Amino acid sequence: MNLRASLAPLAFCLACSRAAPSNETVLTFSGSALGAEGTLVAKQLKRFMQLNPGIRVELQRTPDDASQRHQLYVQWLNARVGNPSILQLDVVWTPEFAAAGWVLPLDRYEPEKSKFFPATITANTWAGQLYALPWFADVGLLYRRTDLVPNEPSSLEEVVADAKRETTKRGGPRYGIVFQGARYEGLITGFVEYLGAFGARIIDDSGEVVVNRPEAVRALEFMRDELYGSKVAPLEVLTWHEEEARFAFQNGNAVFMRNWPYPVAAMSDTAQSKVAGKFAVSPIPKSATAPNGHSTAALGGAQLAINAYTDHPEAAYKLIAYLTAPEQMLERAQAVGQYPTRFGLYDDPRLAGAISIPLESARRAIESATPRPVTPIYTELSEILQIELHRALVRQAEPKEALDAAAARINAVIDRTGMRKLMRARFAPPPQAPDTNGHGE
Amino acid sequence: MRRVSRLGSEARLGWTLVAPALAVIALIAIFPLGWTFWESLHLHELRMPWLGKPFIGLANYVEIAKDPRFWAALGHTAFFTVVSISLELLIGLFLALAMNRVFRGRGFVRAAVLVPWAIPTVVAALLWRFIFESQGGIVNALMIKAGFLDQPMVWFIEASTAWVPVILADVWKTTPFVALLLLAGLQNIDLSLYEAAAVDGANAWWQLRHITLPLLKPAILVTLIFRTLDGFRVFDLIYVLTGGGPGTSTEPVALYTFNALLQNLRFGYGSALSVVIFVITFALAMFYVRGLGVRLGGEE
Repeated sequence: MNLRASLAPLAFCLACSRAAPSNETVLTFSGSALGAEGTLVAKQLKRFMQLNPGIRVELQRTPDDASQRHQLYVQWLNARVGNPSILQLDVVWTPEFAAAGWVLPLDRYEPEKSKFFPATITANTWAGQLYALPWFADVGLLYRRTDLVPNEPSSLEEVVADAKRETTKRGGPRYGIVFQGARYEGLITGFVEYLGAFGARIIDDSGEVVVNRPEAVRALEFMRDELYGSKVAPLEVLTWHEEEARFAFQNGNAVFMRNWPYPVAAMSDTAQSKVAGKFAVSPIPKSATAPNGHSTAALGGAQLAINAYTDHPEAAYKLIAYLTAPEQMLERAQAVGQYPTRFGLYDDPRLAGAISIPLESARRAIESATPRPVTPIYTELSEILQIELHRALVRQAEPKEALDAAAARINAVIDRTGMRKLMRARFAPPPQAPDTNGHGE
Repeated sequence: MRRVSRLGSEARLGWTLVAPALAVIALIAIFPLGWTFWESLHLHELRMPWLGKPFIGLANYVEIAKDPRFWAALGHTAFFTVVSISLELLIGLFLALAMNRVFRGRGFVRAAVLVPWAIPTVVAALLWRFIFESQGGIVNALMIKAGFLDQPMVWFIEASTAWVPVILADVWKTTPFVALLLLAGLQNIDLSLYEAAAVDGANAWWQLRHITLPLLKPAILVTLIFRTLDGFRVFDLIYVLTGGGPGTSTEPVALYTFNALLQNLRFGYGSALSVVIFVITFALAMFYVRGLGVRLGGEE
């Protein structure tokens, strides 16, 4: 009965969002905007508008699921839509968006590149130009039960030995090591860490596919041995994502876990966690048997970039610079526990209370972070690897055979998409679309 | 066909009257199909605008023909369709025969049987995923208790075992639909036939083989059309249950197409895949419709 009254504010709001004063620059921001993160973003945007009276920022909601957001962005950008003016990119999307000409190079605004962790800058650099500024970082970490394994293991072999020892003890946890082994992106992040530990890579600096080299095969054999040889990892992990691994570890069923930083908060809560106060995190160690191996963490996280079709690139950069400034990053860490991408902040005592692990461990983990292959064809590459790795891990194929197949198929994609030359010469200018009116229709 | 010259004005009126319907069909069925086909003749990768959108003729179709993953997916689809539909027909027939009997609470039973069919596929798939989960899944718990297994088994990491929950879930969900279609067929059979057969001393088995099944043929064929086409396009169930894994061992063509089209945003190649699926399902439908038509005619 009060329909009219309840609709009135709505109508008013529609009117007010349409009628913008002509002298005002309107930006649209699309970023993670759920729960505490949403509150934080709204707060920071409001402050930004107070500091910059000529600019109004509107929040455009996009799906929180990464692949859905990706699909939406790509559709919009193909249609040359200028909104959202600021895009939140996953770390592996930047080269793709850069090569497509969908985001603007940032170098002309002279961002403080040297203040960020180098890996986070590398991941956002394509053809010699920076295309996005790292907003927050995610890194793969090794969680361990400190009541069972008090000292940080120095090698992967030690991890396996500790896991074996603790699981064979009476009353010990059921699982030695849990990780994300389902056929999805998480499998690649874990694989990148094993590769690094064995001194191997997916694609080398000259753009060559090296994922089937002997050291890479050894890394995959090591993973497989955890499942079928030493059996420290349960076969279930081949169907697990982050949450299943967390449940197992949180319920006290695992000695070690590979995961991102996010579970720390929930697992430190005695109300829901059986391991509160009994676990620690450290960087994932290298293999003791590989001379070129190094401790490696997969790098994740979000970046901010400017939509190439926006009418207000300067204002958009202003907002990006504001959101990635030390103060805002610190506030973000305090509100939602996400790791800053500026290494200077790790000397700031205020950060210590914000992220729930020792700053030193966090900093070492991010310093060991390695971007996944920085290439515009990352999505294809990842899909191929997901399938072949999974085939090897469920024993449908031998590791060498699977990686040979993956390399051959990745090379085929590189050739099909004309990426070969670009990936060889990483400093070449970005490719020009030969037929620009072909997709604007 | 009547000749237009003789019935000129009447035919014209007829065409005028059906024109809106034809226009709607053209707009919602033929136009998108044509568009998809046109798209399939191009190299069009949404994520790689630098490649442009050149016309490449049948190159996408050549790529499909050479793609082992496509052929494997086709094999998986056929396997899934044949196995699940056979089971559904068998169990559905049994249920239909039971429900056709007159007994107390028949209405209630008929409604209750439909419950699985009413549950959205995604929800059903999730339920079955939980049932087959290695830790805490009911199936493992029961099998361990019954002594078939010593420790929980991981159903989703081996191709042969990953199919079990997929097919069970489909059978569980779709059998009621099959049963209902067959029940409708059963109710069209004249009861006096059975009475006459009984008078002649025919037993129940003979009645089933020589009266029920032949007269049920049209209903069975309708069911087969629906179910084969559905089975061929299976997507949501497998997407949720196995994601096509382990590796790509349970990946059907629809999932592969979804991947190419919406994950990798390869519009040209994905469109070509869609056209191939369309051609196959259309051929199947034609095959059934023809078969059905012939048999219906011969039924007299």
